[in-house]
Amino acid sequence: MHELRYVGGSYPVHDVAQKVTGELVYGSDFTLPGMLHAKLVLSPIAHGLVKRVDASRAEALPEVVRVFSCVDSPMTTFCRARIHPGQDLVAHDETLFSEHVRFVGDRVAAVVATTRAAAVAAAALVEVEYEELPALLTVEQALSRRDVAIHPGGNLVYEYEVEKGAARAVEGAVVVESVTSTPRVHHAALEPHVCIAQGHGGGGMTVWTTSQGSYAARTVIAELLGLEYHRVRVVKLPMGGSFGGKTEYIVEPVVAFLARELRRPVKLLLDREECIRATMVRPATCTGITTTCTRDGRLLDFEAVSTLDAGAYASSTPDYGIHMTKKVTKAYRVPHYRHLSRTVLTNTPVAGAARGWGAPEMAVAVETHMDRVASALRLDPVEFRLKNLVEPSDIDLVTGLSLGEARVRECLRRGADAFDWTTRRARPVGRGRYRRGVGVAVGAHKNGMYGAFPEASNMALKMNEDGTFELSASLHDPGCGVITVMKVIVGEVLGVHPDLIAAGEADTAVTPFDYGTYGSRVTYVVGACAERVAREVRARLLEAAADLLREPVERLHVRDGAVWVKDDHERSIAYRDIAVLSGMRHVPSISAAVTYFATSNPASYSVQFAEVEVDCATGLTAVTDFLAVGDVGRAVNRGMCEAQFRGAVQMGIGYALCEQVVVDEAGRSGVAGFKNYHIVNAPDMPEVQVLLVEHEGDDGPFGAKSVGEIATVPTAPAVVNAVNHALATQLSELPLTPERILAALRGREVSA
Amino acid sequence: MGATDVLTPATRGELVAALARATPRTRLLAGGTDLVRALRAPGAEPDVLIDLSGLADLAYVRLDGGTVRVGATITYAELQRDPLLREHALCLALAAGQVGSVQIRNVATLGGNVANASSCADGATALLALDAEVTTIDGAGRVTCRPLGRVVLGANRTTLGRDEAIVELSFAALGAGHRSSFTKIGSRTTVSVARLSCALVAGVDAASGALTDVRVALGAVGATAFRVPTLEALLRGRPADERAARLLADGVVQAIAASIPERPSLPYKEAAAVGLAYDAWNALALCPPCEPAWPAEAGATTGP
Amino acid sequence: MRLQLTVNGTPRGLEIDPTARLIDVLRDELQLTGAKEGCGEGECGACTVLVDGKAVASCLMLAVQARGREVVTVEGLAVEGELDTLQQKFVEYGAVQCGFCTPGMLMSAKALLLQNPTPSERDIRVALAGNLCRCTGYSAIVAAVKAASGQEAAPLMELPADPGELATEATSDPETLEAAREVARRAAEPRRDEEVE
Repeated sequence: MHELRYVGGSYPVHDVAQKVTGELVYGSDFTLPGMLHAKLVLSPIAHGLVKRVDASRAEALPEVVRVFSCVDSPMTTFCRARIHPGQDLVAHDETLFSEHVRFVGDRVAAVVATTRAAAVAAAALVEVEYEELPALLTVEQALSRRDVAIHPGGNLVYEYEVEKGAARAVEGAVVVESVTSTPRVHHAALEPHVCIAQGHGGGGMTVWTTSQGSYAARTVIAELLGLEYHRVRVVKLPMGGSFGGKTEYIVEPVVAFLARELRRPVKLLLDREECIRATMVRPATCTGITTTCTRDGRLLDFEAVSTLDAGAYASSTPDYGIHMTKKVTKAYRVPHYRHLSRTVLTNTPVAGAARGWGAPEMAVAVETHMDRVASALRLDPVEFRLKNLVEPSDIDLVTGLSLGEARVRECLRRGADAFDWTTRRARPVGRGRYRRGVGVAVGAHKNGMYGAFPEASNMALKMNEDGTFELSASLHDPGCGVITVMKVIVGEVLGVHPDLIAAGEADTAVTPFDYGTYGSRVTYVVGACAERVAREVRARLLEAAADLLREPVERLHVRDGAVWVKDDHERSIAYRDIAVLSGMRHVPSISAAVTYFATSNPASYSVQFAEVEVDCATGLTAVTDFLAVGDVGRAVNRGMCEAQFRGAVQMGIGYALCEQVVVDEAGRSGVAGFKNYHIVNAPDMPEVQVLLVEHEGDDGPFGAKSVGEIATVPTAPAVVNAVNHALATQLSELPLTPERILAALRGREVSA
Repeated sequence: MGATDVLTPATRGELVAALARATPRTRLLAGGTDLVRALRAPGAEPDVLIDLSGLADLAYVRLDGGTVRVGATITYAELQRDPLLREHALCLALAAGQVGSVQIRNVATLGGNVANASSCADGATALLALDAEVTTIDGAGRVTCRPLGRVVLGANRTTLGRDEAIVELSFAALGAGHRSSFTKIGSRTTVSVARLSCALVAGVDAASGALTDVRVALGAVGATAFRVPTLEALLRGRPADERAARLLADGVVQAIAASIPERPSLPYKEAAAVGLAYDAWNALALCPPCEPAWPAEAGATTGP
Repeated sequence: MRLQLTVNGTPRGLEIDPTARLIDVLRDELQLTGAKEGCGEGECGACTVLVDGKAVASCLMLAVQARGREVVTVEGLAVEGELDTLQQKFVEYGAVQCGFCTPGMLMSAKALLLQNPTPSERDIRVALAGNLCRCTGYSAIVAAVKAASGQEAAPLMELPADPGELATEATSDPETLEAAREVARRAAEPRRDEEVE
């Protein structure tokens, strides 16, 4: 490993100064002169047909400009999850406003007014008459009621099966079964969903979003409104978190439509209740697993059936369902693997992209199942996993791709050591009120879309006349430091401090095409593109310097913003001087533009260890200690890499213990805000130790792999396994609420 | 929009004058942590809003002979810290410290909380155990004093007239022979509405060690907080020992079952109530800490 | 109605809607958009500001309740462009990711330190119990507050360098530069047509 100057250091996010002073203008702060405010009218029923819309009382308010609804707006269909015009697995099942409402929260109308308060008041005055239809609120209901079709084509919207390898009968094999369910969850990014759009004379439009992909927003909007792509400009604004909840186009299409109709800037900012009810949720899942293994603990066969609750619109859940079948064999060597996944529509909040894309859901099922197997075999959970985890360069049985530098075993060994696993696991859990247990879980995740979808990024980089640089790339920073990572990579290659590189976010009019921030593609693919474009510019820089210094390029290298002659401490020329002198010749600008195609998709891994203390009086579980080990290839921004794990663990603990969006018998979400949707707060959050395993070797920049999603994959099962250890139970229905825990202690089944 | 008349009385006289203007659509604003949200609902705009936060002389804690007097606009943050309260009504100070977050405690008031009459209100549960009385003033300047139980009737239901404002809460100070505690179970350890709560007051005879005065108030397990007189009578006169703790736990569980028989949360609350009762008892420190067998069966206690 | 109050040290007189919330007046009338509305019900803490030195949820307070009082927002922490120690420590300890919770966190922390200059870790976590964060897992924030109270651990981040410094860091070796200038000057001379390359 050669010495790196900037990669591996710890840098604050690039806009930290503006964030600590409150200066930064987020999407929700953004205003334009003459801007109008929109408020949605949402369906209060779970399933029905709109019979009549009367907006007269709303439109009578002086500040109201107009009310749009299904009765007077185009019914062109679109898919909120489309990322490219050429994409196949997307259902165009949504319209701007629904005539056929399919969940509590479905869009029925939009009020536009000169003030936000007026829009809110007017929205309450829009009268809508519905003809109710039977509401199918569970997957079971949706599958059994053939007479009620949420969308044409039936409620089983997608089914996918994969089978690889060969089954082999073995004498005395041990069969273990389990069923695990995970809940619908709210992403809970602190900033609500927002979008602003402005139509221009001449038919063009600018849309300011806080989404995770701007080019796809343009595709969806342009196709929906019949606009040419070059007339639609999508600009990414700073955002207060996303975690997948802003990957799909929920607010953008309607705002673009309103802006075009009214020819004035329009802003739609949702409130927390609308974010929970009417945007998107992580899909609820149920997975049944059956494994067969030898008496000494080697897996022979792994079969699973997963069912996902898509909610009212298909969105990205068919793809999500496919990806749930691709998680197990990234981590485990299994001779025979079979997985059926079914995605089912219900009249409940729309499910879609969430951090981990099926990996956290599967990890809960798989890792609690593996503990059952270990228990049946009387093997320690760590010991059992070590018998079955993949090795570096293993081929993923399902995808056929190399897992690359798969260091999951090392993560497990080093983590078990650092956590003092054996000692803690052997300690008596106690029979009193407070019981302590420890649990471990393994998670795996991909690095980009290669293998499933064309995977490439485009960037341009130029040097300014003073030796600073500007990166032009369609970056989407949800707030975790994407921009900083790119600056560090480029800075490393060019031998300049990252602060001498400017990098902004996506603007489809100006920055070249990139899909966006999802699929764990940013560090691995987008970062590799940044490395490549920086290498190109470095080559040009060295060529120009070679010319000016009358030296062959091989004798030159870059360091600290200057080009140096090797083995000669005297001779150097600063970038600024190269820029000025070359600029006077025939090289007006030292720059490059590249396309980077990903040709590999290794796995990132995390092994996490939790210690919990369960209060058998109240059923409350405290996480008292936590260790997250990450196989990250190389940490580009070490501080932020570790920080990702800490935030991800907060999300996973909530997933395990308290977060769920439950709907009642009318299909209404019982939670409407943070008062009853609890995310882990500061007093309840443990100190999380983070251990990074860095072996480089794969195609990412300086050997780095993506980290943002893998960090949350094994968290919940580590906590669940710890609770099951503490209580000698086999709980597998999440979240492990106090009700479920007390009921389990009394041997009763209860739904939370 | 903007049609509300906001009155900001700074003295008692101004308060009475403001109350005299009250109509059925008038609202009283104390801390605002409940009201400000409610005002956002479409059509909820009041005609007159009387902001009590300017009444500086309504925020006090005083010992008046043997009576503790608490001004209605005192905040939970101030109550939590008040030395007088901690000495003579610890359960109320403890309850105050468990309401919401720092931001909430800095503005939420005892009077506002009582008037809002949430079934989960922590302050009201403690006040009930203290046999508190509520003093009000109305638009005619009439001052009335009545027990808390005759002001708060049920969830968001009070007997307060539209022109009536709470000005003081008062109760007999707990003396040296008394201990009190406040215990709450929420859905997490901090910043949570109570799922069940218990304010416990116990007087002990110095000579015999027997319980003299026992008061048990339960919150969040009924339309409003309530006392359990049969349980209190059962415990009176008994030694303050492990058997008393067991009787307390049994009594609390039975009282909850009787109060919310149809509620889906009953199995959980009955089970958790055992821990609640033991925690409440142990906090009094009248005997070495007691423990039931874990996991405790709902309604059952330790062995035969 | 007319509202008089002090905001970030400056006395203000405003004409407001009587039922306007403090957060609305700060953001919409005074363009102080540091306080954020994350939930509108006083649970997330992103709207936290100081009123007479106490942390309050500005989305749960009517502006009229702040009459005659001193309100401090995150914009009022820095003094003449110099970051407050708390802000500086948030930078150094990596306590900021998406930053949406940051203003509220800073104000709650400020209120804590005004009342308790050397808080324990538990004190800090309880003081921040009403400030939710989805990005950081809180530990960097807690460490930053502790550091601001003089109880430093090891700061995490490399501080952003003073931009002016970095740009002037790299200089050319004078002799080399002169020679390069000569090369460039000669190459810039227009080519004479009879020269053969």
